[in-house]
Amino acid sequence: MSRDSIRYKTWKRFSRNRAALLGLLILAILAILAIGAPWIAPYHYADGDVRYNFAPPSKEHWLGCDYMGRDILSRLIYGTRVSLTIAFVSAITSFLIGISYGIVSGYCGGAIDNLMMRFVDIAWGFPTLLLIILMMVFFKSSFARVTPGTFAGTLSAIDRALGGMFFICIGIGLTAWLMIARLARGMTLAVRERDFVEASRACGATGMYIIRKHLLPNIIGPCIVQVTLQIPTFILYEAFLSFIGLGVDPPTPSWGMMINEGYIAMRSYIHVFLAPALALSITILAFNFVGDGLRDALDPRWQR
Amino acid sequence: MWSYIIRRLLLTIPVIFVVSSVTFLLMHAIPGGPFSEEKALPPEIIKNLEKKYHLDDPLWKQYIDYMWGFIRFDFGPSITYKTRTVNDILAQQWPPTAILGSISFFFAILVGVVLGVISAVHANTLIDYICMTVAVIGVSMPNIVIGPLLIWIFALNLKWLPVARWGTPAHVVLPALTLSAPYIARFARFTRAAILEVLNEEYVRTARAKGLSERLTIIRHVLRNALIPVITVAGPAFAGIITGSMVVEQIFAIPGIGKYYVTSVNNRDYPVIMTFTLIFAFCIIIMNLLVDILYAILDPRIRYT
Repeated sequence: MSRDSIRYKTWKRFSRNRAALLGLLILAILAILAIGAPWIAPYHYADGDVRYNFAPPSKEHWLGCDYMGRDILSRLIYGTRVSLTIAFVSAITSFLIGISYGIVSGYCGGAIDNLMMRFVDIAWGFPTLLLIILMMVFFKSSFARVTPGTFAGTLSAIDRALGGMFFICIGIGLTAWLMIARLARGMTLAVRERDFVEASRACGATGMYIIRKHLLPNIIGPCIVQVTLQIPTFILYEAFLSFIGLGVDPPTPSWGMMINEGYIAMRSYIHVFLAPALALSITILAFNFVGDGLRDALDPRWQR
Repeated sequence: MWSYIIRRLLLTIPVIFVVSSVTFLLMHAIPGGPFSEEKALPPEIIKNLEKKYHLDDPLWKQYIDYMWGFIRFDFGPSITYKTRTVNDILAQQWPPTAILGSISFFFAILVGVVLGVISAVHANTLIDYICMTVAVIGVSMPNIVIGPLLIWIFALNLKWLPVARWGTPAHVVLPALTLSAPYIARFARFTRAAILEVLNEEYVRTARAKGLSERLTIIRHVLRNALIPVITVAGPAFAGIITGSMVVEQIFAIPGIGKYYVTSVNNRDYPVIMTFTLIFAFCIIIMNLLVDILYAILDPRIRYT
């Protein structure tokens, strides 16, 4: 990384932003917790002990226990897996779909572009969360009783193995790519007309080569920023779905579900609510810090 | 501009068509129909039930019947509650949601814009930092966290306000605050950024140069132009408040559409889910339309071709 490269300058601007660095640090810790959950968590997330129902924080259970006597700290640590998986899988899905759709639309131009963008316009009008809720109702009901071995059976098995996260990711991924597609298409249109692309084409470069070598490097930055800024929304969607009972399957610990359990018991046992509520808020805060930091670093105009 | 508005209006038609078809298809694609959820019924009874609810018609006819009913505000029967139609449920449930939603929406705009202006005028001072820190925290605290937290502080510990339920003005305060908090923060951040951008414009310098007081400059020249982009936040905010009402009404036990929506999702009461989804979706689509049109009218610099 040379001192004059754009990447170096971007990193320098990013690292000068203390909030963004703090966010990155928090995310790194969360990632370690998620990967190392079985070794870090003191108990298993589904192991309950009736003697400890709603136990307050103590030496054995640092954050206390929930209504089934399960260790809240362990459930929080395992819960990072759900939130981070949703965050990254949804981000990558929407990023890949959006950027390829946008580039194809922008690069082809003409009638294809028109058609593809009208589709985006129409899909854009559909309220995202409502569509996700509908899809979750559909998935939960129609994949509840499927014959194993068929395609639907395989999907259902994957979903069960992942504790119900698979369909949430599909639901979010299928709705969240629109913004990226619009952005990628707009930038493709701008870059396509630049002289270096023209020169490359004159030298006999194929479409795929131009997309790979000229278009992608120029539009990938803003698209990454956009996706990062959307991640808090993905995490919120999962928490929201789990809160209303359409999210992950119990006993998989999701922060949204834990908040739901906590708020029911809040009158007498506030610790059951506070722990997951704090975890969720801090995670979203960290993603917001990193997203804002990335945006400011890539686009100095926006700097405060 | 008129061609833009007409085009924007025309675009709403396919959007409404797609939204209603997708909703309809997803709810009808669920195998077994709503009656197989209960214990096994004899086939004759299922046949009669399907006949009663017109589930034995071809799909396109059901769709047309449903949409025709929807246009005439006849939403059909509820499946969980055999004696109530969706209309009955709707008539009973919509007032709290409408009251709560509109109060939250306007409260969010008002407080958010005022906070944003204060922050921008005092940019990079302590006041600004405090406002923006609160805003970032507000953006990061979802409804499901703020709601119970407010209940715990103001209802359970301080006992200033009722814990939940609906009826008196005091019951509105906490849920409205919960619903609007994330959008207060968003409006504040957006307003601040927009004002700071406008403050660098030359006509602002001109206004100051001709001796206009800072206060008048801000009100007459800056606010007018800075608030136009803020309108664009109103669309997402409205959508967020509508969908947020689902959990907020759940948390505060408010007998509104949002709470009932969650109940019917858990009961798999498809006609109710479908109707409520469409009503929510239409509200959001119409609001987005209004926002776009308002934006086009208010901003003379933009010429849509």
